[in-house]
Amino acid sequence: MNEMKDFQITRRGFGFLAAGAAASAMLPLSARAAGGGAVAATFPGSWEDAYRTVLTPMVKDAGYDLTIAPAMAQDQLAKIMASPGNPPYDTLLMSPGQMAVAIEKDLIQKIDPSKLKNWGMLDPSFQGEYGPTVTIEVNGIAYNPDLVPKPKGYRDLFENPAFSGKVSWTGFASNTAVMAYTEIAKIFGSGPNDMDAVFKLFKDHPEHLKGVVDSTNHQMTLFQQGEIAVFMCSTGNVAHLKSLGLNAEFVHPETGSPAAPVNIHLTKGSANLDAAYAYMDAAISKAAQDQLKEPPTEMFPTNKDVALTPGIEAYVTRDQIKTMVYPDWVAINKNRDDWIRQFDALVAG
Amino acid sequence: MKASGFPYVLPMLLLSVAFFATPLAVLVGFSFAGPGGATLEHYARFFGDAFNFRVLVNTARLGLETVIGTTLLGVPIALLYWHGGRNLRQVLIFLTLIPMLTSNVVRTFAWIVILGRQGPISEALVGLGLTGMPTSLLFTELGLIMAMCQIDLPLIILPLIAILSRTPVQLTEAAQVSGAGPWRIFVTVLLPLMLPGLLAGWILVFASTSSSFVTQAVIGGARNVYVPQLIYREVGTLFDWPLASAIAVVLLLSTGCLLVALTMMSRHRRLVGHA
Repeated sequence: MNEMKDFQITRRGFGFLAAGAAASAMLPLSARAAGGGAVAATFPGSWEDAYRTVLTPMVKDAGYDLTIAPAMAQDQLAKIMASPGNPPYDTLLMSPGQMAVAIEKDLIQKIDPSKLKNWGMLDPSFQGEYGPTVTIEVNGIAYNPDLVPKPKGYRDLFENPAFSGKVSWTGFASNTAVMAYTEIAKIFGSGPNDMDAVFKLFKDHPEHLKGVVDSTNHQMTLFQQGEIAVFMCSTGNVAHLKSLGLNAEFVHPETGSPAAPVNIHLTKGSANLDAAYAYMDAAISKAAQDQLKEPPTEMFPTNKDVALTPGIEAYVTRDQIKTMVYPDWVAINKNRDDWIRQFDALVAG
Repeated sequence: MKASGFPYVLPMLLLSVAFFATPLAVLVGFSFAGPGGATLEHYARFFGDAFNFRVLVNTARLGLETVIGTTLLGVPIALLYWHGGRNLRQVLIFLTLIPMLTSNVVRTFAWIVILGRQGPISEALVGLGLTGMPTSLLFTELGLIMAMCQIDLPLIILPLIAILSRTPVQLTEAAQVSGAGPWRIFVTVLLPLMLPGLLAGWILVFASTSSSFVTQAVIGGARNVYVPQLIYREVGTLFDWPLASAIAVVLLLSTGCLLVALTMMSRHRRLVGHA
């Protein structure tokens, strides 16, 4: 009958516990309030680690605090839409697909290039009016040479039985996936937006639907565990897998590699403009990009003064950047909602 | 007494209104928001798509299956605790609480290893000759239920232990002396005693499972779609907040109905007696 003693907690103990819980819950708020610097949204994973390690000290040297906040591009958009007038981030990191949405919904503002010392170090194609391009993500196919032969391209994945049941795909919410699907639509359909041809292809090859997961990050975990052997990726994904000691290779599809510039944008209503510009300037500086081009991130440098590493040149050279496939994101965004719903219903069976 | 106690309740009441009732009201308001005023359009869109209805049913089924799984695992562990000595009890409490201190995300990713082709389950099946080749339980409903049962097991064990701790072990001896067999003792003595704890556990497990976004997405994969993923898709990918709010309200109501039914059962005198 006295066994309830096992669960008893003193009033003082409960008070400490409650105070501790409340204090830990308040930490993010106090961190932001105390810093007074910029809050920069960054992709989670290797991007987050690299930006925190490389850029935070550089921005600190410029006299500002920098908080790196990890979030996928779609999540960044959702969060700033949830707080109109009081954005949770001062800057966003995204590709043209999300940038088009952000401009349409009036969530980002044009920048003042005179506030960026390193602006002139960028090629004009990287000097966007809504913010600088910090790298170009080149997309293709990752594969495990221990488990499958080198794929020639997207067609090969569907027609060569060696890949049956070993390929993983993600839904249309992923930029990497959308770029691959527009390429597949060109191969099997009438053009990049003929997604019916892609849906039919998946219906005809149901073994490909078994490996559909939510995100590229999740695919990296599955690749690591040997659960999948092929997935659509960027060169950065493969560089990261290689840095973990995994046998991963990157292949450019024979029909061309889709590419996406990654840009830093200034949020409309940002209260810390000077700190945000200091962060932007640091991200395009030679000092930062010299570090970010190294493994495990191996980001393609947009600063002209930064030489490519042999590792990056093995994937792509500066000349090749111009020949990559750059999708029409405005056209994609018009159809994306419909494609997402159709694909999800198809995958769920 | 009520009048004198009211000031003490007031802070909690204000907090509840500010941080629970108000956001809930905003959510409900969003679900009816239309360009020309209040509309039922978002609910019509949700129920007009057979896919959505199937997702709702799948979510309820996942919750119920996990409730059954955790009950089958949790009841024997709680009874072991009840009958065990001090050391065994401490070990069981430790083993129950430790997983709760680990992030759900970490536990979920650990299940990728356990359920994968090279995981212990697959190797055991091959070793026992039950399958000829490595088998992955990832992206299957069975794999997801196994993971959910492990993750939510403490939610049923703890209420059961709380109930049984107030019950003298000699009760079973008295029933035995009266001529009852083990099965009869369990059904007629222990089960009615445990029922309030079971009902509390079922409520917690069902609510936790049906809203467990990370585990559903990671272990279930994209083929097994549940309501939280549907809500996330509408908010985070399609930015259709009114529809997302309508789906959230539907989930809240459907889960709420079940919880109300279970709560009413827990208050039913004939069912739970005086336990």
